[in-house]
Amino acid sequence: MKWIGHVKRVYGGFTRAGAQGAMAYKFNFLGFFVGESLYCFVMYFIWKAVFEASGESIFMGFTITDMTLYVFLANIVGFLTNTDSTQMLAEEIREGNIIMRMIKPVNVDMSLLATEIGDKVVMSAFIFLPVMIGVEIYRYFALGYVAFNILMFLGFVVSVILSYILAFYLNLIFGYLAFWLMNIWGFSILKGSIIKFFSGSLIPLAFFPDIVGKIFEQLPFASMVYTPVMIYMGKLQGMDLLLAFGKQIIWIIVFIAIAKLIWRWAEKRLAVQGG
Amino acid sequence: MSNMIQVKNVSKEFKKVIKEPGLKGSVKSLFHKKTEIVKAVDNISFEVEEGEVLGFIGPNGAGKSTAIKMLTGILTPTSGEIIINGQVPYKNRKKYVKEIGVVFGQRTQLWWDLPLSETFTVLKEIYQIEDKAFKQRMDFLNQVLDLEPFVTSPVRTLSLGQRMRADIAASMIHNPKVLFLDEPTIGLDVVVKDNIRKAIAEINKNEKTTIILTTHDLSDIELLCKRIVMIDKGKKVYDGDLDHMKEKYGKMREIHITLKSDNDINKLSFAEKFGLTGDDIDIALDGKKAVVKFNSSKAQVSELLSYILSTITVKDIAVGEADIEEIIRRLYKGNENDETAHGNAAAVEA
Ligand SMILES: Nc1ncnc2c1ncn2[C@@H]1O[C@H](COP(=O)(O)OP(=O)(O)O)[C@@H](O)[C@H]1O
Ligand SMILES: [Mg+2]
Repeated sequence: MKWIGHVKRVYGGFTRAGAQGAMAYKFNFLGFFVGESLYCFVMYFIWKAVFEASGESIFMGFTITDMTLYVFLANIVGFLTNTDSTQMLAEEIREGNIIMRMIKPVNVDMSLLATEIGDKVVMSAFIFLPVMIGVEIYRYFALGYVAFNILMFLGFVVSVILSYILAFYLNLIFGYLAFWLMNIWGFSILKGSIIKFFSGSLIPLAFFPDIVGKIFEQLPFASMVYTPVMIYMGKLQGMDLLLAFGKQIIWIIVFIAIAKLIWRWAEKRLAVQGG
Repeated sequence: MSNMIQVKNVSKEFKKVIKEPGLKGSVKSLFHKKTEIVKAVDNISFEVEEGEVLGFIGPNGAGKSTAIKMLTGILTPTSGEIIINGQVPYKNRKKYVKEIGVVFGQRTQLWWDLPLSETFTVLKEIYQIEDKAFKQRMDFLNQVLDLEPFVTSPVRTLSLGQRMRADIAASMIHNPKVLFLDEPTIGLDVVVKDNIRKAIAEINKNEKTTIILTTHDLSDIELLCKRIVMIDKGKKVYDGDLDHMKEKYGKMREIHITLKSDNDINKLSFAEKFGLTGDDIDIALDGKKAVVKFNSSKAQVSELLSYILSTITVKDIAVGEADIEEIIRRLYKGNENDETAHGNAAAVEA
């Protein structure tokens, strides 16, 4: 296990640099925060209308309180696991700044990951915590008791971290595709829609017809939003919980392997611009 | 002494996409891209001994940066072989770069938003330097590059000269055996340039670091390098002693004159007075400004100056050295006329 300490030492610097970089621009979050909150409230009112129209108080195992929680959590998870690795990589290759990573004894992907994690930690402090507290206050008034469960919360945190790493490598693979396709714009819009739909960030996967939902749950996209949210809400327990973690980890390993293979191929064909 | 750097028949080609103009061209290029091959480095070979400082010079676009990128493991050569410090740079990049230092003058490896000292702390971890060795190293770099006054400032607030000093320090923090400096003085003013050159010379003297330094500014080379490799359009055109090259091709000097009246220039006869004819002299006139380029091994600068000043009235007069383009021009000429050129002037197709 010595290598863990080694990795922490070598890449910890990138993380700290990423965090300090983010601190320098912390007010940029503010506009983002307002926009995302508005989106959540719109979703909330849509689902409220759906529940009222259906005339039932429980829909596919979700109460309106669950649904509200789901909307806010899915959004915050989507936000936390959102990664710019594709754009970061494409831009670094185009502008040649990737050189600065390549002249150091580090993996390019790991150093990009470490930098972005630093950024995420700062963002979490500024956005995630306030939203969390808001959600819990809402839950208290809706249910009349404190539903917060520290174990589920810790499970959620671990799951979000796994989600993020998964999203990062999936995104990186898309970035590498830019080597062939040059223009990744149309591609990344398609990717965005696919993730939004299959990850459960638009509609909980439990709402799909039985078989379809089950299939979706096996796909890597489900591991990216649906899984951590369900853990937070306490809807995954015992074996289901372990299974969910297992799935996340397997997908991460698969994606890292694919990304490494592509990078090994691409590194030899890089044409870094600029002097 | 053993060779630290061996470069054998190395070439690098880039595929460049040719864009056809207009919307039709854009649509067409979606399906079928027309490409053209650019040979940025063309069959270059040279060797560098341990502890040597090699000047790698050539005009803009000659292929210097591309060559450095291959030497540092960033780019893989299209063909040819490179062995540095017993390793092939592009084979095991992560291992190889542990023992080299790199500075690209036009970009920075410092963390833009962090205080400079933080960059060094991060690098300490990346290279896994012990506390004690790190402290000694910082002391040495501080003394040579004088970082103290701005070590706590965020990098984005540093002046270009300070940033370059810091970048060189960052590239040296792990005691590299080979140092690659790509245009380390670009954009700096004369005093700062001079400081940087002195620091590089001191590092080489103290640590026996093998250094390759690229530049398009000949004055960089004078203080630092005995030997130069000159490239032009990707090809090596000269490899040898700096003094020899200057003697042979670089003796051109320029006298810039601002005339009182344009006709005055015709009153000067350098051919008659100094025997300067043909390639040894070139006079260009632009309005009232005249540039007289001449071979200073055939006539003394001071003699020309006093001749000019005693023959005509001038508003202003200044003396300059010929630039690198001029030297290359003469190099081609020299090779055409003189096949037995010494200093290993490489064969060139004119
Ligand atoms: N990634 C690239 N793709 C296409 N052409 C390139 C690329 N990088 C460099 N070139 C071309 O190769 C030539 C040499 O460039 P460079 O090595 O940067 O020259 P220098 O550093 O001597 O100014 C130039 O003509 C440049 O346009
Ligand atoms: Mg260059």
